[in-house]
Amino acid sequence: MRPFDLVEPATLEEAFHLLEGDDPAVRPIGGGTALMLMMKEQVFRPVRLVSLRHLAPQFGAISIDADHRMIRFGATTSFSELEHSAVVARHLPVVVRTMRTLANVRVRNVATLGGNLAHADPHLDLPPVWIALGAQIVIENPAGPRIVPAEDIFEGYYETNLRHDDIIREIRVPLNASQRASYVKITTRSAHDWPALGIAVRLEMKDGLAHHPRIVLSAATNKPTRLVRTEALAHGQPITPASLRELGEAAVSEADIASDSRGSADYKKHLLRVHLGRALHALALEE
Amino acid sequence: MSTERTVRFSLNGRAVKAHVASHESLVQVLRDRFDLFGSRESCGQGLCGCCTVIVDGKPVSGCLYLASFLDGTSVQTIEGLAPADDRLDPVQEAFIEAGAFQCGFCTPGFILMTKHLLAENRAPSDDDIRHYLTGNLCRCSAYPEIVAAVKLAATKQRGG
Ligand SMILES: Cc1cc2nc3c(=O)[nH]c(=O)nc-3n(C[C@H](O)[C@H](O)[C@H](O)COP(=O)(O)OP(=O)(O)OC[C@H]3O[C@@H](n4cnc5c(N)ncnc54)[C@H](O)[C@@H]3O)c2cc1C
Repeated sequence: MRPFDLVEPATLEEAFHLLEGDDPAVRPIGGGTALMLMMKEQVFRPVRLVSLRHLAPQFGAISIDADHRMIRFGATTSFSELEHSAVVARHLPVVVRTMRTLANVRVRNVATLGGNLAHADPHLDLPPVWIALGAQIVIENPAGPRIVPAEDIFEGYYETNLRHDDIIREIRVPLNASQRASYVKITTRSAHDWPALGIAVRLEMKDGLAHHPRIVLSAATNKPTRLVRTEALAHGQPITPASLRELGEAAVSEADIASDSRGSADYKKHLLRVHLGRALHALALEE
Repeated sequence: MSTERTVRFSLNGRAVKAHVASHESLVQVLRDRFDLFGSRESCGQGLCGCCTVIVDGKPVSGCLYLASFLDGTSVQTIEGLAPADDRLDPVQEAFIEAGAFQCGFCTPGFILMTKHLLAENRAPSDDDIRHYLTGNLCRCSAYPEIVAAVKLAATKQRGG
């Protein structure tokens, strides 16, 4: 690694000023866990890193709206703050469960939610969960803030449509007391390897029928991807062996899955059939 | 440009300062400026835990942590764990008594992580221990002894 300009602005305006221009070697830095790896490998050689640490008073809180309709996560919140938050455990247990197999204690203590989104590695665990939960991302820009659905950020393998001077400020997750959600991380080599696929599902059950399901596939695809046709098919269906087989086939025909070192496309399709079925079944049985 | 800066922090209870370059990591600075060799860079990717350091009460990977971020923090390394020159921490004692290492390279990381596991969970199960320590690798594969050492340390800390 080589020296670079490291700056720690205390206000958003200063941060924008320091990010000005279009040099790709000028970037924000959250926890730095992804950037450090890229810098050590020399795939990224920064000219300047703009640390968001000192924005934490505005950017680092987890809060719930008074009417309990939405939880807001500041972008500089660390994974471990999420993991140990009583509010999150109570209202979004799926997020806390996801932490159990996400990285390790030390990385969770440092890596931030904003960095996790912007990094856009398709193997990451939280993006599919955010998408399944219908999260909205608040993005600050010198031209003004905007709010976009989480799935709209991702363009492809390590690619987002975030602009050079965009700073992720907040992740907003709508709450719904009758929703059930789960995330399954399927690794094919060792337990702490990157997943061959990740499946995030949320739905409501009404009179034994699945309602408003959201089904997101990650890792096997080049970006976390909603399986919208499968979602539409599942809406209003009972969860039975026959419907699960049908939904598994629908998911496999909808998803664009490639072979890689974690398994052939055929193998991953089989994993998708089996694990999507199990996930839906488990959610249907949940109290 | 701020490619270098002076950081002031507390190191094993002592106020210190260091002049660091922007690209230097915490583990580099501990070794090069303070002759503290207990945390060591091994995998270099945050996976193996040999570089574990406690910053503001939380374990971090010293090889992925920019030294520039140390300003105003409180840092603890394995060298600061024993309560006195002639006395070890109960976790250190437990690792020795259980024979939980061969070469010892990974041991500082395991001990610091165990200290924090036991602060969160006074009586961890085998599963809790394995989960908490997934980010620590022992290439001599002393895992059964390490799990036994963590349980022994838990018993010692509970005063048993
Ligand atoms: C050993 C190891 C294992 C891991 N395992 C997992 C795992 O199992 N599952 C998982 O999901 N993750 C895992 N991760 C974490 C993940 O790979 C990233 O390292 C992490 O999420 C990045 O967060 P950060 O805050 O450190 O980002 P940084 O390294 O600071 O930044 C990453 C990118 O995001 C940009 N950025 C940061 N913050 C913002 C912001 N607020 N607005 C706009 N852009 C921003 C940066 O410019 C950079 O491009 C692991 C990491 C390590 C080191």
